[in-house]
Parts: sequence; structure tokens; C-alpha cells
Amino acid sequence: MRDLQASKRGTQSVTTGSVDCKALRFVKGLLRWLDCGGLYPRKAERRRAVIQPEIRGSNPRPTNRKGVVQRTESIAPTRGPIPLSMIFLAAFVVHLPLLLMKLPLKSYDANFHIFFASHYLHNWFDPWNPKWYAGFSQTTYPPLPQQWLALVSRLIGLDMAYMAVQFIAILLLALGVYRFSMLWVDRRAAAFAALASVFLGSECFLVYSAGQLSTTFAAPLYLNALPYLFQWVRHGKWRSFLKGGALFVAAAAAHHATLLFGSFLFAVPVLALVIFDRQDGERVSIPAFLVRSGSIILVVGAAVAVVLLPFWIALIHYPVTQTPIPHPSRANYILSPQWGLNYFVVPYGALILALPFIFLRGSSIARLRPLLLGFWLAFLVGLGGTTPVGRLVLGRAFDVLTMERFSYWATLLALPFVGLLATTLIDRFQLRAVAGLTIAAGLTCALAVSWATYRPADAADFKVNAVASWLNRDGHDRYRYVTLGFGNKISRLAVLTNASSVDGEWNSGRMLPELTQFGGGALTSSKYFGKPGLDALSAILHHADRYGLKWVFVKDPYYEPLLVFGGWRRVDDLEDKTITVWSKEDVPPAIAVNAPQIPPQWQGLLWGILPIGSSILALVLVLIPERRWHRQRVVEPSTADENLVLQRLAS
Amino acid sequence: MRSRFTFLLGALVITAMPLALAQTGSLHLPGTVEAGSAFSIQSTGNGNAVLYIVGLGQVVKRKVQLGQTVSFAPGDLRSAGHYLAVLVGDSSTENGAFDVTAAHQPGALSFLAKPSRLAVDLHDGISGVVYVFDAFQNLVLATTQVSFQLSGVAGATQTRTALTHNGVAWTKMDSAAKEGSVQFVARVGDAASTRVMQLVPGNPCHLRMSARPSGQRLAVETEPVRDCNGNALPDGTIVTFTERYKGGESTVDVPLKRGVARTDMPAYGGAKISVATGVFVGNEIRWGGER
Amino acid sequence: MSRIGRLLAIVITAATVALIVVGTIWPVPSAVAMAGSGATLLRPSSSPQAAVENLAAEIGQQAWEKAYSSLANKSEFTELEFARDLTGTYPSLRTYATLDSFDLRPLHASADEAQVQLKLRWSTVVGAFLDTRTLRVVRTGDRWGVLWPIVKEPRVPPQVIPVNYLRWDVIYRGPEDDWGSQDVEAPHVRIVDMHPVDRSAGVVIMGELLNEDVVPAFVTVKATLLAKNGSAIATEDSFDKISHILLPKQVTPFLIRFQNVALSEVDSVHMEPSASLIAASADPVIEIEDQHFNPAPGAALSGKLVNQSGQVVSVAHVLGTFYDKSGQLVWVADQYVDRALLPQTPVSFAMSIPADIASKVSSERAITTAYSSGRFQ
Repeated sequence: MRDLQASKRGTQSVTTGSVDCKALRFVKGLLRWLDCGGLYPRKAERRRAVIQPEIRGSNPRPTNRKGVVQRTESIAPTRGPIPLSMIFLAAFVVHLPLLLMKLPLKSYDANFHIFFASHYLHNWFDPWNPKWYAGFSQTTYPPLPQQWLALVSRLIGLDMAYMAVQFIAILLLALGVYRFSMLWVDRRAAAFAALASVFLGSECFLVYSAGQLSTTFAAPLYLNALPYLFQWVRHGKWRSFLKGGALFVAAAAAHHATLLFGSFLFAVPVLALVIFDRQDGERVSIPAFLVRSGSIILVVGAAVAVVLLPFWIALIHYPVTQTPIPHPSRANYILSPQWGLNYFVVPYGALILALPFIFLRGSSIARLRPLLLGFWLAFLVGLGGTTPVGRLVLGRAFDVLTMERFSYWATLLALPFVGLLATTLIDRFQLRAVAGLTIAAGLTCALAVSWATYRPADAADFKVNAVASWLNRDGHDRYRYVTLGFGNKISRLAVLTNASSVDGEWNSGRMLPELTQFGGGALTSSKYFGKPGLDALSAILHHADRYGLKWVFVKDPYYEPLLVFGGWRRVDDLEDKTITVWSKEDVPPAIAVNAPQIPPQWQGLLWGILPIGSSILALVLVLIPERRWHRQRVVEPSTADENLVLQRLAS
Repeated sequence: MRSRFTFLLGALVITAMPLALAQTGSLHLPGTVEAGSAFSIQSTGNGNAVLYIVGLGQVVKRKVQLGQTVSFAPGDLRSAGHYLAVLVGDSSTENGAFDVTAAHQPGALSFLAKPSRLAVDLHDGISGVVYVFDAFQNLVLATTQVSFQLSGVAGATQTRTALTHNGVAWTKMDSAAKEGSVQFVARVGDAASTRVMQLVPGNPCHLRMSARPSGQRLAVETEPVRDCNGNALPDGTIVTFTERYKGGESTVDVPLKRGVARTDMPAYGGAKISVATGVFVGNEIRWGGER
Repeated sequence: MSRIGRLLAIVITAATVALIVVGTIWPVPSAVAMAGSGATLLRPSSSPQAAVENLAAEIGQQAWEKAYSSLANKSEFTELEFARDLTGTYPSLRTYATLDSFDLRPLHASADEAQVQLKLRWSTVVGAFLDTRTLRVVRTGDRWGVLWPIVKEPRVPPQVIPVNYLRWDVIYRGPEDDWGSQDVEAPHVRIVDMHPVDRSAGVVIMGELLNEDVVPAFVTVKATLLAKNGSAIATEDSFDKISHILLPKQVTPFLIRFQNVALSEVDSVHMEPSASLIAASADPVIEIEDQHFNPAPGAALSGKLVNQSGQVVSVAHVLGTFYDKSGQLVWVADQYVDRALLPQTPVSFAMSIPADIASKVSSERAITTAYSSGRFQ
């Protein structure tokens, strides 16, 4: 408990700081915003927390008796919530060293995002990227994290920019979890939930092993938008409407799937919570609920349609009709236990032990049931092919999406329960519980972080600089190339070379018929896709002349027979003969593909302005201090629990 | 930088031209000058001036005393072409033009001989193209006689002569009947250029094989395989043995080693064994004594 | 906990378990794809089919130990020999093949013994191959066990084989040479036969290419179909339906496919053979023994490859050329051999021919190309 007291002191020093400095005032304003309806306990509250242990944190429904009982369990005398600054500090301590070590660069997709960013860096208003698939449009993938990455890279380079953007996402996640949890549980539990997010296995797995920047960037934005959604629908506050709307749009600009599926998994439970709480305090009628819900859905929908207009145009004109590519996250984790370990045990970690508690507590408290159902659905879909739910719910999208993001969302939805569990255990077992929870969190985080080492994206770590240099000299980049056995190094190679490839890692962006009709993934990993992968490789080699494909870089000699019998000749060796260069005679130089998918200039302008603009707008809006709220707060009586809670909500 | 300077000078000359035309006096220029030879230009008038000689890829600047002869040493002007002479004085500018022609004496030949490898005994199988240059790498446009000579292997040396047209002469020659290296020489005066060509055996003309038992199998072996001129086909040439027997067939592609191809094949009584190389079919053997 | 809460907890827990059970017993296609051929939970081997199915699933998962332990005749060979029967002892196409699918056909059955034909479809880098085994299945108590027909791949005894091969190397013009010095002449090759055929899937152009030269050539053949107005309809090349390395006086067949083009649309065909110098070796020499043309149904050219060299051939490719009575080329077929060719050790092959073509075939000719590499994994 010494830590908690220390953190309290820390909080006091921030909130009572009297240095009249503009910068400090800004920081205080920011922290006040972070507080979002009372994230930091004010003096009076802290006092009450000491003398009135039954006072709820931010729980918007103080008259819920079950909630009261539950909260009384969780808020023990002298035990306040962990300050957010301490939670951020934990994120600093845990993630900053790992990011400075550039650990995510070993993940599956980090270089993919860096590749996209490198294109934005040089061609901000031209989303047509000729380096993959003989040309593809980057409007097929929401651009926000990559565009921020490109912007930041002007200061610190692409690799470190990736780490910086990822770190911001981690901090925003802790904040988002805190704010989202406060809708469901008290402040102390919410603080534990936010602290748990720092150690969350699924977050660590996505950051360090999967490299899913977009998902981990969009989810915090979305989580931070949800309390505004609640406040708008529950109380009709226009500021909340604007702030929430802007954050929703920014989240969509970061990752469309998060908004699409998050609407069902996160927003519907929050709207259900509004219905649960509609009779308390400031009542909300059903028509008002419907109008407010409908209005924000309409406005956000329209804004997302405009901000991502080139994306929708690309999707409508060129829907993803290619043959589905198998992905291990869609496996049955019992029949394929190796994938169960990868996509269930590692992301969930110690959270697996909390599942009975989640089911029991979520079922027993009425207002937690929407959250439980949201979690349960995400949990089942996240199990991939272990249950038929994913296929039934998602239909054809099941074969396009990867399922680990659902597990990620499930764990985020589980965090309020985790906060409750932590408070319950700590209240009951004191230090033993703290020790146990710390060990569980540490092990979960450690396993997920180290998973990238035990199960690396590429078994063989090697540099592609020599290949890039080879391509960039002597006019070799006049022709296209393909690599075999390079794994996800092809993104790094694409960043380094000027040459264009017929391969790539963004399957939804590819249009070459040889690639779309068979159901294989990246050509460089053809053998792992069995017959469809090898058929695609054979087809593209067959049509080498058509695409100016003259060079094949082979890291895996498995592919050599196909090249030998297909009429390719070995012409060079690189990297101590571990990479061989193969060439085909009489291949004409590559010419730019005049594909109908090339976005017109106006789409390039929209793409370069609106997504990044939406995030800047959201940033500006949410940083507007809640002056009115604070004024109200000062004049309102602080004796009634109901008022206190409502004030906190009116952020 | 040099081209930029030339351009500037050209611009200067064009600008100065109308002015120069308005002036009196003249330059006495030679009509043509042979590349690399010495020549002189006579000027008239008094005072100092600067003489510019501007040609393709070459500019010469001289300070001159008007009224005197300006001499140019051998090698001062090396590139053939049209030259402009501009005399820029204190008060007037004079100009004129003259041509520099390639030297009459050929200094170098560029010789393209094709192909570098061909079969023996081919009519007009060899082509040679010669570009005649002087010592300063100017194409000699004057008609010149070029002699071509093919020699080196047993057989008569072939000689042809040809006249250049616009600096180029060409010829066609037959390949010799004997395989080996030949020297193809083009010569103009003292200048000569040599290319080495390889004559290789032509299509096989003589392909015979024999067979003998070798344990449970049959050893088949060709006699040295030759073309119609008696040249042995080179090692590595593929010879195909085909054995047809009741209900089956065996084939093997064997490279010639030391002039012959040999291999083992299954021994079936009554089997027919044939041999071929390329599209040429050799003899056939019926195993079992018949032939 | 309220009654509703308790009920909800029970329902959610039970539904979760039930959904997992359903998803495991009847896995969705993506789960099947990821788990390979053995995506279903193995059934007890209570019938001959179940026993063979389980065995095939285990082979697909490369669970050799499990598969071997389920065999009824495992005392006749070791687990290693069993695995090598399927994957090969020496590096070959089998070594890194993955089981794409399998199917089985009961041939006959009695109370204690049955015969089942098992077809294993393996996927390799150069295409799929079929491994068909006829299995005897015997009852042992209440279980059935497979009698695996082991094919023991011979081992090459330790020996010294003198190498006396021919090899060509090429010295190219260096960058410092003057422009008058020409490169070595490209090999002279000639198309000696060419024949377009209209097939249901499109146009097929086949022919034969001869290396007339005395040096080895690396050859490709490209064809462009031209319409009546002279415009190009499509351009394709022979890819692997040709022997790319042609030694002096060697002839290779070639076949070029044009999908979705009718011969009636084609006015002329522009053929573009190309040849370049290549460093090559005359080894290995591969004899094709016991070639048999088996007429339709199931028309195929079968035979055995015998490696007459000392070098192990990892992958052999057989190209067959088929002629009618008048000596006209009627078809070109090919087949990759899935086992390594060891010195003097025959390995069978069979390449199928379309039934309508088979009736025209009067004679045939086969050639082989080979790939050997210590690096092949």
C-alpha cells in the first residue's frame, strides 16, 4: 500500500500545484481532460474517499444496489485509485525500453506499416504505390497511423517514428481503458484495468509479435470516444457529441474494421448501459435516446464516408473477391494446438484464469451484462475456427479478416472485469493478492513480448541491404523482382529499393489475376500456402515478360527446381551465397501499369488531407478544457453522492 | 562546360556576324584543310585582334597581329568538319569558314566480322564490315580499297577486295571445309585489323554404331562421328540410342566423349537399335545376329 | 447471485463449451485448411476405412510416430524406413512435399481383412503428384490395422565413381574490351517442327527445337498469336514444358498453352526461339528404359529412368513427344519424378496423355532434364 499512498501524494502535488506558469497550466488542463469527469480525485473527493468508503468513483449509477455492494467491496478504506500518472509511468517503464530496442521491427507487420509510411513520406498526395504488385493503391487501407509515422519520421527517421507512434498508442490505450472502465466500474477498479492494459498480453502480442499498428492505434481512439458517446446519449451534451464524433472518425481513419466491429462489440453495450441507467438522476426518454443514438450514428457515418471516401470508392469498384487465404488465426485451436498457443494462450495469458470470474460477475450484475455479452461475442469470434461463431457472425468476412484482433478487443472488454477482480482480491488478500497479480501481469506481458523471440516472424534473421543495393545499381531497377523465402523482409526491402516488385504483403490491395485467383498469400512465402501458393508463384513466373519481372532473389533453395525447369538462370550470389539471384532472358523492362485502380488526383488530395485532418481536429477538440464543468463543480454541493457522480459524468 | 563555352562562342559569333559584315577587310582562309596538317590564315589590317576557330568539338583561340599570317602547327585541328573563323579586332570583326577533311592516309580500321563461330563449308557464311578511319579517328569518306583475307586452316586462303562507300566496305566469304580457327584480316594500306573465327564441324554425315554383349546388357558404341567433310563432331554432341523391342522401348541421350558415344542398354533378343544425332539418323541394328 | 444471473452464467458457459465441441467435431473449412488433412478428430479405427483415413491424416500431419505405431506390420520395417518411404531418403520432390488431399476407395472387404486403395495427392514446388497405394487392412481384436506396402529406397553403397564429364564454360567480353571485339556467338537453334492445336481450354502450340551448334544453349520459345488484322492476341512462352538446356545436336519438344483463345481467331503465329550461351555439363546421363505406351483408357507413357552417372539427381523431368503414323507431332506431355535418381537405380515414371490424342499416337520419344543440388532442401 505504500505505493498507493505515494501515488496519492504525487497526484496531490499535481492538482494543488500553484506555480502560475502557462505551460504548467496547460499540463494541468491536459491532466484535467485526462481526468475526464474526475479521473483524478479532487481534494474533497479524496477526503470523502477516506471517510465515506461507499462513495463510488465515476460509476454513473449510484442507486444500483448491486453495484453499490460490488463497489463497497472494491473500495476499501484508505485505498484510493492508482493515479493515472503512475499508470503512464508503468507504461514508460515497461514499453519504452522495448520500443527503444526497436523490438517491434521483428514483428510480422511493422515493416509493412513502415513501407506504407515511406510512400506517404515521399508521395503524400499520391496514394498509388508502384513498388508492390506492379502498382497498387494505398487507398485500400486506412492511412492515419502511417501518415503520422511519415510526419514524425521527418524528425527521427522511419524506424524510430514507428516506435514513437506505437508508444503514443500504448499510452492512449491506458487512458482509453481507464475512461471506458469508468463507465462500468468504480474508479479504483478502472485504474486497475488501465494498469492491466499496460501488461495486457494481447496488446503486447499485437505490438511486439504481430506488429498491428493500425489496430493498436485505432482501439485507444475508439475507447476514448466511448465515454463521450455515453455522455451524449445519456445527457445530450453537445461537446461530448463533437468530441466523441471526432474521435470515432479518427479511429475509423486509423482502422476501419475497428470502427465497424467495435460498433457492435463496444458501442452497443455502452448504449445498452444508457438504457440501464436511463431512470437514474437525469432521466433520458426512449425517443431522446433513439434520436441521440441515431444522430451520432448518422453524423459519424457520414463523416467516415467522406474522410475515407477514396477507400470506399476503391472497395465498391474493386471489392475483395479474391480467393480466401488461409490464416492460422482461423484455425481450430484444439485441432491445431500450436495456433491455440499462439492466438489464445499468449494474448490472454493470465486473463484465462479470470474467465470464470468474468462470466460469474458479468452475469450477476445486471448493468454489467451488456459488457459481458460484448466480451463473450468477441471472445468466441476471437477463437477463430474453434467455434462456428466467427463464420456465422462474419460470413465471408471471416475468410478475409484475421481473428487475433477480436481476441484483442475481447481482452479490452474484459479489462473492467479484471479491475473488479483485482480490487476484490486485494481487498481480501492484501499483499498476497498484490504479489500474485503482479506476477500474473508480469508473466503475461513477458510471455507475449518474448513470443516474438520464441516464435519469430522470420526464423532466419537476415539483412536485405545487399539485395536493395544490388537492385539499385547498374539499372537493375528497370525491371521488377520477386523474392522467395524472404518472409516479411519484403516490406523492409521495398522501403530500401527503388525497384518494383510483383509481390507484396497487402493482399487486399493486389489486383494481378495471377495472385488473386489461387488463394495464396505473399509469393515470397508460397510454399507455406501449399498448392494455391505454388500455383500463384508458377503463374506469375510464367508471365514474367508481361510484368517486366526479370529478377528472382532466392533465400530458400526449396524453390530452385521451379526456377531451373521454368527457364531461369542463376546470375549472382549475395550475402555469402545465402541469397542467389536468378534472371530470365529477353524480359522487357518494366513499364508502369496503367491500371484503372489508379486513384485520380482529387482522391489523392482527399487522402492526404482528410484522415490526418480528422485526427488533428479530434486532438484540438478533446484538448478544449472543460471550464464550464469545473465551474459547475465548484458551486455544486458535494454531499450528495448522486450529484457527485453526475458531475463527474458531465465532462 | 566545354559545350557551354562553345555555345557561348557560337552565340557571340552569330551576334557579331551582322556587325562584322558591316566592317571592311577580310580573312584569307584555305578552302579545305586535311585533318592534322599544318596550315596558315592571312589577315589584313593593323592592330591586335583575336582569332577564334570554332568547329565541332574543338575551339582554337589565337591573339594575332593584323596584317600578319597566323600559322597552325600539325595536329592543331584534328576533327574533320566545317569550321568557322572569327577575327575580333578592336573596332571590327571579320569571319569566314573552311572545311577540315579526314586525312587521306587510313590510320585505323573498325572491323566487324560475323559470326565468330560457324559451321564449315558454308557459302557466304562469313561477313565482314570495315569502317576506315584516319589517324585522328575521322571517317575517311574518300573511296578506298579494302582487302579481306581469310586464312589459317588447311585450304586455300580466300582474298577479296572491296571499295568503301562513304567510309564503309563489306564482303562475304565462304567458310573452309576444315574445322579450326581462321584469321579474318581486313587491310587498307598499312592499317589492318584481325578477327579470329572458329569453324566447327557441320551436320553429321557419318553415324554408325556397333553393339556387343556386356554382361546381361548390351554395349552400344558409335564409330567416330563425322560431318560430310570428315571433321569429327566435338565432344558433348548428343547421340540418341533407341532400342525398340517387343512391347517396349529404351532411349538414352549420350554425349560424345573422345569422338564416340557409348552406353549400355537392355539386351532383348530381336530388339532393333537405332542411333541418331540431331535430325540425322544413323544405322540400325537388330540384336540377335541380324543386321 | 440472482437466479437470472446464475442462469445466464450457466447458459454462457454451457454455450461456450457446446460451441467449442461443435467447432471441433465439425470444423469450419478454414480450420480444416490450417490443420491439414487431419482436421477431424481421429476416429477409432473401428472399420477398414477409418483405419486408412486415420493413417492418411497422420501422414498429412507428418506424425510419423503415430502413423507407424498404428500399422499392423510395423515389425517388418522401422519407423525411419516408413518415413523414408514417404519422404525419400535423398533430397527429392517428396522430401518437402505437403499432403494436399487424399481419398480412398474400398476394393473388397471380408470380416477380417479388407483392401483399400489410398490416393495421396502431394503438393510440390513444381506441381502436384499422386502416390497411389493399395493397402491391406486386417482386423486385430476390435481394431483394424493397415499393412503398409513398404517401398524401401535403395541406399547407394560407399564407393568411388570416377568423374569424366564434359563441361563447357563461357568467357564473356570484359568491360575494358573495345567495341570491335565481339562476344562469342550465340548458339544456333532451329525450330524443326511446329503444330498448333485447338483444345477445349484454348490453343496449344507444340513443336521441337534443335540445337544445331556445337556448344550448349539455354533456350526458350515464345509464341505470339496474331489476329487477322495483324494485332497480337496473346504472347506466352513454354515455361517448363521444354528442356531449357540443349546440348549440341539435342532436340527438345516444347508446348505453349494459350488459355481462352480459339484457333479460329488466330491468323498466324509468330514464333520466337531464343538461345544464349551457357556454362553446362553433359552429365548426368539418364537412360529411359522400358518405355511403354499404354493406350486409352488411362493412356500414358510409362517407363523407368536409370541414372548412368555417379551424381544423385534430385529432380528429374521427363518430356514426351508423341507422333502419329505420318510422323507428325500430335502431343507433348511431361512428368516430374518425385524420387531422387540414384546411380544405376531405376525409378518409374508415367505421364498421362489425353484420351483423344492417345488414339492417334503411333510412336513417341522421351527426353529428360535433371536438377541436382546439395542446396536443395
